[in-house]
Amino acid sequence: MTAALILNAVSRHFGNTKAVDSVSLSIQPGQFVGVIGRSGAGKSTMLRLINRLIDPTAGSISFGATDITALKGKALRDWRRDCAMIFQQFNLVDRLDVLTNVLIGRLAEHGFASSMAMRFSDAERTMAIQALDRLDMAPKALQRAGTLSGGQQQRVAIARALVQKLRIMLADEPIASLDPGNATRVMEALRSINSEDGLTVLVNLHTLDTARAYCDRIVAMRFGRVMFDGTAAQLTDDVVRDIYGSDGLAEFNEAVTSTSIKAGAHPAPIPA
Amino acid sequence: MLPPDIWQSWAEFSEIAKGLGETLSMAFLGTLLGAAIALPLSFLGARNINRLNILRLGVRRGYDFIRAFETLILALIFIRAFGLGPLPGILAIAVSEIGTFAKLFSEAIENTSEKPIEGFRASGGSRLQQIRFGLLPQVNPVILSVLLYNFESNVRSGTILGIVGAGGIGFLLSDRISAYKWDEAWSIIFLIIIMVYVIDYLSGILRKRIIGTWEAAK
Ligand SMILES: Nc1ncnc2c1ncn2[C@@H]1O[C@H](COP(=O)(O)OP(=O)(O)OP(=O)(O)O)[C@@H](O)[C@H]1O
Ligand SMILES: [Mg+2]
Repeated sequence: MTAALILNAVSRHFGNTKAVDSVSLSIQPGQFVGVIGRSGAGKSTMLRLINRLIDPTAGSISFGATDITALKGKALRDWRRDCAMIFQQFNLVDRLDVLTNVLIGRLAEHGFASSMAMRFSDAERTMAIQALDRLDMAPKALQRAGTLSGGQQQRVAIARALVQKLRIMLADEPIASLDPGNATRVMEALRSINSEDGLTVLVNLHTLDTARAYCDRIVAMRFGRVMFDGTAAQLTDDVVRDIYGSDGLAEFNEAVTSTSIKAGAHPAPIPA
Repeated sequence: MLPPDIWQSWAEFSEIAKGLGETLSMAFLGTLLGAAIALPLSFLGARNINRLNILRLGVRRGYDFIRAFETLILALIFIRAFGLGPLPGILAIAVSEIGTFAKLFSEAIENTSEKPIEGFRASGGSRLQQIRFGLLPQVNPVILSVLLYNFESNVRSGTILGIVGAGGIGFLLSDRISAYKWDEAWSIIFLIIIMVYVIDYLSGILRKRIIGTWEAAK
């Protein structure tokens, strides 16, 4: 169902900035990969390249036998649907209710007319409710998305990804603006997508302890390049100092304490 | 002194009521027609929709050009073209509103947040779907509130258009004045004031509700 995602010497330049600089990665199906690095290291740019929200300056990306970088039109939209992406700022439509925001994930399947009229089948609605239920959000289905808390909005965004029938989950700092309790719920939801549905998860994180607690594999970036690629155990203090720099480390440690998550301290709240 | 004791029978008064209704309909249809034409133009003039700079700036100059025409002058032109009656009034309101609406709408479109649109793009939505689901929900309340506000002011200017011959209550008013029927003219003015007041009041309530929900969603 899911396949290996391969980045082959991918670069993206913005003017003189090398946001992503010749990155090569091979991500096996079902891996839970965390991407860490200082602000401006190129983490978001890398995810956006994979989702093809932006195009690479050089290099290629493939998924199984498909060359992602060559996709156009409907095939490109289908790819975006396949690799669902969630964002730090949730990117929901505030004024639409939760259910509609989830159903938006189905629109790539719809023609022009049926999507303009916002007409969804009963099967799709059922699917959306089930996805919301899996994230404990079904009771809020008819509430307006803008009135939800950040953690709830992020769970709605994940429910939208589920109805997209995703094959890869991309998450760009999904917990950066959440309190520890909500952050845990969101990370647990990603973990359940990973372990129960067997989907690859690629998540940008800004806290090292979260990366250590959830990720099979940690990729660290600096100045657009991959500085470290290995397991949590291999990520020693010396490596961390290399990634963040000595001045960055102080700032980073602060970030760790301010949103520290003790995985396991909260009983897993996501029944899935 | 107070109306409507000037008018003895319903038959006499019904003409006045019809005039008031006509002014309201003129304002309503004119506002709606202007908005219907302005909406597509506003998309062409919005930076985040139309990335062709030359076309966009051309469209924007077009808004300013249309806005330069005063409703009253347009009414005089349309009366020449279509004769006396409500039709030139409706057209004058519509045309003079196109520029204003297009400008306000395109600003509303530019002030939307990219986030929901991008979220939708990231899940495989086409450009039209992105606009329909990511952008329109953000601009709809602004558009509605602008429409109500301008409808309000068009009820007022519609009265004046009538005086130059474009139908409605203003037409009756100028007729009574030229016939020196001052008591009737005064009663009509009094009714116009009441109508404008009621419209302002109702649209104020509506606008507050629309904007209220809009801000709550932020
Ligand atoms: N659209 C853009 N135009 C110009 N420069 C950009 C653009 N997007 C990103 N950059 C630059 O590319 C570099 C990498 O940015 P990116 O957003 O990928 O970093 P990040 O690792 O996600 O950082 P953060 O932790 O702050 O989110 C930065 O120097 C940034 O200024
Ligand atoms: Mg980022």
